[in-house]
Amino acid sequence: MDDILKTMRISSAGMRAQGTRLRVISENIANAGSLPQSPDELPYRRKVVSFKNALDRSIGLDTVRINRISDDKSEFQMRFDPNHPAANADGYVQTPNVNTLIEMMDLREAQRSYEANLNVIKSSKAMINGAIDVLR
Amino acid sequence: MDLNKLTLFGMVKKRLSWLTQRQEVLSQNIANSDTPKFRPTDLRAYDFKELVRRESMQLNMNTTTPGHLPGSRRRIRDFSSEITRRPFETAPNGNAVILEEQMGKVSETQISHQLTTQLYKKHLNMIKMAIGNK
Repeated sequence: MDDILKTMRISSAGMRAQGTRLRVISENIANAGSLPQSPDELPYRRKVVSFKNALDRSIGLDTVRINRISDDKSEFQMRFDPNHPAANADGYVQTPNVNTLIEMMDLREAQRSYEANLNVIKSSKAMINGAIDVLR
Repeated sequence: MDLNKLTLFGMVKKRLSWLTQRQEVLSQNIANSDTPKFRPTDLRAYDFKELVRRESMQLNMNTTTPGHLPGSRRRIRDFSSEITRRPFETAPNGNAVILEEQMGKVSETQISHQLTTQLYKKHLNMIKMAIGNK
């Protein structure tokens, strides 16, 4: 495969990985208020993604992909709400360990990385067009 | 006529393959801008020394009688790349890619590519003019 087409494959793999990251972030934000039903249940646990660069055998290139989507092991927050069905003996409810601000920052970062990959594709496209123009 | 025998066309061809390969390396860096422990790489600068090395490294076996096997042609090594040894900054997860820097390099590569193709066109037109096609 031509080098410049490889570039496109690599960047699109990067975009795909960022897309998955975006999905996980939206999952976290959507579930920021998912509380347990009873005192012995746990609320939603925040998920985090990590990437790795691995060989894609079908195209013989290193492309970025999702390493794993793991749970954030940090502690749940507590809220005083004695009327809630999931409140414990002291009247506290466990709430998800999602911090919306952190998620928004993560979202922005994913967006920037996505745009960077998109720009590389645009740049490669311009290079291909330049090379094709030589034929004219 | 083999255009590659003209020095300029040969140079343009090599320069273009260097640029496309660099674009590939840079896209790899940008795609991995969030991969833990990833360190960016870049191609070695395309300079005169490199040019001479590539020109003089290709030695082929000579067949003096028809019974001889043609020695396998030594493949010219692709342009060598190197890991950026002292990155400007490294994220807590060990990633040392700086998007701005990489994007700058990408546009640099794009501009050089444009320049090289324009140069190629220009010289092709000059040859056309010489053979009276214009």
